[in-house]
Amino acid sequence: MSTAFGAAPTIRADGPPTWLTSRWTQALLVLAALLAGFAVLRGEHAFPALPEPFQIGPFFDRVYDWVVANRNTSPLFLYGFNYLSVGLGSAVILVNQVLTLLTWPGVTVLGTFTAWRVAGPRTAALVLAAFAVFGLTGLWSEAMTTLALIITSVLLALLIGIPLGILAGRNEGFDAAIRPVLNFLQIMPAFAYLMPMLLLFGIGNPAAAVATTVYAFPPAVRITALAIRNVDKGAVEATTSLGSTSWQLLTKVQLPLARRTIMLGVNQTIMLAVSMVVIASVIGAGGLGDAIYQALNKVNVGQAFEAGLAIVLMAIALDRVTAAAGNREYASGGSPVPRLAMTAAAVLAAVAASVLARLAGVADWPREWTLSAAGPINAFNDAVQDLFGDATAAVGEFLLGWVLDPLRTLLTDSPWWLVLLAAAALGLVLGGWRTALVAGLSLLGTGLLGVWGLSMDTLSQVLVAALVTVALGVVVGVLAARGDTFSRILRPILDAMQTLPPFVYLIPAVALFGIGRVPALAAAVVFALPPVIRLVEDGIRGVPPESVEATTSLGSTSWQLLTKVRLPLARSSILLAVNQGIMMVLAMVVIGALVGAGALGYGVVFGLAQNQLGLGLTSGLAIVCLGVLLDRLTQSAARRTG
Amino acid sequence: MTSQATETTERHPSNGDAKIAVRHLWKIFGGNADSVLGTENQSMDRDAIRERTGCTVAVRDVSFDVAPGEVFVVMGLSGSGKSTLVRCLTRLIEPTSGKVVLDGADIGQADPQELRELRRHKIAMVFQHFGLLPNRKIIDNVAYGLEVRGMSRADRYARAREMIDMVGLSGSENSRPGQLSGGMQQRVGLARALAVRPEVLLFDEPFSALDPLIRRDMQNEVCRLQRELDVTAVFITHDLSEALKLGDRIAIMRDGELIQVGTPEELVGRPADDYVRDFVSDVSRTDVLTVSWLMRAPAGDEPLDGPVTAPTTVVRDVVPQLARGTAPVRVVDGDRLLGVVGRTDVLRVIAEDQSEGDSGSAASGAGASTEG
Ligand SMILES: Nc1ncnc2c1ncn2[C@@H]1O[C@H](COP(=O)(O)OP(=O)(O)OP(=O)(O)O)[C@@H](O)[C@H]1O
Ligand SMILES: [Mg+2]
Repeated sequence: MSTAFGAAPTIRADGPPTWLTSRWTQALLVLAALLAGFAVLRGEHAFPALPEPFQIGPFFDRVYDWVVANRNTSPLFLYGFNYLSVGLGSAVILVNQVLTLLTWPGVTVLGTFTAWRVAGPRTAALVLAAFAVFGLTGLWSEAMTTLALIITSVLLALLIGIPLGILAGRNEGFDAAIRPVLNFLQIMPAFAYLMPMLLLFGIGNPAAAVATTVYAFPPAVRITALAIRNVDKGAVEATTSLGSTSWQLLTKVQLPLARRTIMLGVNQTIMLAVSMVVIASVIGAGGLGDAIYQALNKVNVGQAFEAGLAIVLMAIALDRVTAAAGNREYASGGSPVPRLAMTAAAVLAAVAASVLARLAGVADWPREWTLSAAGPINAFNDAVQDLFGDATAAVGEFLLGWVLDPLRTLLTDSPWWLVLLAAAALGLVLGGWRTALVAGLSLLGTGLLGVWGLSMDTLSQVLVAALVTVALGVVVGVLAARGDTFSRILRPILDAMQTLPPFVYLIPAVALFGIGRVPALAAAVVFALPPVIRLVEDGIRGVPPESVEATTSLGSTSWQLLTKVRLPLARSSILLAVNQGIMMVLAMVVIGALVGAGALGYGVVFGLAQNQLGLGLTSGLAIVCLGVLLDRLTQSAARRTG
Repeated sequence: MTSQATETTERHPSNGDAKIAVRHLWKIFGGNADSVLGTENQSMDRDAIRERTGCTVAVRDVSFDVAPGEVFVVMGLSGSGKSTLVRCLTRLIEPTSGKVVLDGADIGQADPQELRELRRHKIAMVFQHFGLLPNRKIIDNVAYGLEVRGMSRADRYARAREMIDMVGLSGSENSRPGQLSGGMQQRVGLARALAVRPEVLLFDEPFSALDPLIRRDMQNEVCRLQRELDVTAVFITHDLSEALKLGDRIAIMRDGELIQVGTPEELVGRPADDYVRDFVSDVSRTDVLTVSWLMRAPAGDEPLDGPVTAPTTVVRDVVPQLARGTAPVRVVDGDRLLGVVGRTDVLRVIAEDQSEGDSGSAASGAGASTEG
């Protein structure tokens, strides 16, 4: 970072004396070598196609054909997945039916009342507002479908996750065994989960429920295990010395004391479920996600905005309620009887509301009560387009013509082995031999999967988006660390941004930039910014005040303080932020395929939508390969300099 | 230590001779300092002010002068405002009111650029927790002050090497702070401060984090360097022996106020109140008081053939001479007789030390009984 301070020549001379051995110089040399190779060998040496029997895409296609042919005859499906599928499907339908049976007044009464009891009047008002938006936008039944999916998969995820977490928390061996599995599950982009589910369960809600469950349960395991392990050792020891059995220890000491933290895990699980349920609309999950998906397909910003608002409100409401449930705790104990009475009263009120609604003939949200905002929003959007259209188009064209295209050309038109070598060399410089090996192999993986070109396209998009994200994130993070007022204003905004499902970010991006790689890039940047800003701010705030004071006493200017003290000392946080930013950008660039970003994301989405398992799976796996590559490179950079 | 002699006689040098002159300095933490300064609240005690206004008065109406080449020590209990005071001197903490004058120029009037120049060239500080940059090599830490001035790499490295040699760390230039012991890290802190050739050095409890043996080494080091380089120093400590060892004059602070300013002898021999007396109760007077403090004109019948000694000799050192004969010791400056010190004078000091020790161990607040 200190090279940014290159203005004064005296300070430029400032890098380490052994500048040739500096990792960053070497990394630049690697890039220079790549450029040189590109200039000479442009367009030659495309990744060779494997001979037919070894091609992975067609192999998956054959698997898919087999599954389709045997779904109704093979015992594996007849007695296995089909049962599961039917069971899950009915569970979702059952929950949905309960919600329908309650009718909208019943659901609203129950939901608002619960929120009020758990989280207080402000959250209750938020929940009420959310329900009002579901109704007014005419998306009530879609919202209930989404809610039913969320409820089913969260229950499933907790049913699996919490017991596993308890086991992992009490048993080191089990913990060590399950940890790599969880790590792997968390590095996979959300889309990658959809593929196998589609294969096993076909299109529809059951596949969506399983995908959501699998996607959402790791934090439940992790956080439960952590909570159990963090229970005060003294309390465990004391109760053990009083002769508790292991079961008593768990139920009387560990679980009660860990409850608060476990609720945090529940909250995380719910939030992941919300984002996945939306994404799962690609494999036929209905509801709000589907509404957004359809609207985006038609580039109908107004409609997308309505459904987006509904899902955002649902996410925030669920987040607030569960977060409050975790924080509530011992204080609001109260005796169980009034609590029971309250619950009974709430249920009765809900039932009464639904009966009344039926009698009044408004069991379904009346059509004439909807206020479509889509029209005005589209008009507004057009007006915005008229105003800023030229500017955003110019920005978009600049990005495409001067940044995205050249980089893509560099990566796709360079000989494949050169790019591979460059990645390995970067790994060597930043990490060491192991990193080099992993980097090289993961890139080779994308080639062997038969999607080298698409992967290079995606990589170019990810790199540009990550660069923009990191640049913006560092600037905003530094400002936030320096200004308490700014930080206070920023914090709730970041909180809100982090509860939104990624899908939603596409809507404003499309509104501003239309369709293509640029809106996908913009959405990815906005999506990935919050954690980057947070980490940078925390890092800068964590710089020891003694160091700052001492260097101030020597007469540093505030720019010198920033470039010579604060940024260098916050370096490991900043590099971690880079890592997080890149991983989030990668996840989002795939979703960007929905607005025309093409490349691997398109392979996944198209594969999912058109039952082209080969294309979908190879693209999905290639994304995982890119993820491993970028994660390794940035993590080892962070570790080596940390 | 010529300055000491002049200081003892002239306790309030005029503004012109002082290196640093502090006048009516206040520092009030908390939002509404205006509700204290210039109101009747101003004269209330610290807790009352905090209760009434929510402000903490960290430094209260402090005035003192530091002569060129002097080591001025500030002592006081934890929370008495020492760190705040010393930071106000270079405006690391912005004073609420009052003046700090360095070489006749009011630091409070300096604009940011001038203030930076001041910090880069004239005043350097050594901190309790070192404040080194863990990511930089030792040599780059030492050279930091020169680097921010814009000095070329070769020049500042040469200077930094010199400083590293001076504090006895040669060979560690390329280590990182984390690889050094606490004592060595503070040597780096010292070298960093000295590298800018400051005229004034500020120390905020620089050796509190070090173990006693290393602390003694470092104190000797500071004594030596201060003498060699002839810098003016303001030194914060709460270790009395350190204060006595280093200080030409010592100021005692309580609740933000200066209670007493004087030479070690004045503090020990004539404590202003019980707080100061408590502070100095642990030292033996015979080690601090000099014969010039005790001497008197010879009485008519006293023999004047006793041994001679210089006025700066401490009392302890004349005890053996007095034990050898009955004649009082003659205090002389060259050929001139300044006065005499007899057995009873010395015995009185020893007796005071002992009763002090007794009352100290019996009840710490019994300072008054030593008077009787
Ligand atoms: N930034 C601040 N904001 C509010 N109050 C402060 C601040 N810094 C110091 N104080 C208060 O000012 C008073 C003096 O603090 P100071 O640090 O100067 O004491 P000190 O004599 O250096 O103590 P120590 O020996 O513990 O270092 C204390 O009561 C402290 O609580
Ligand atoms: Mg202090």
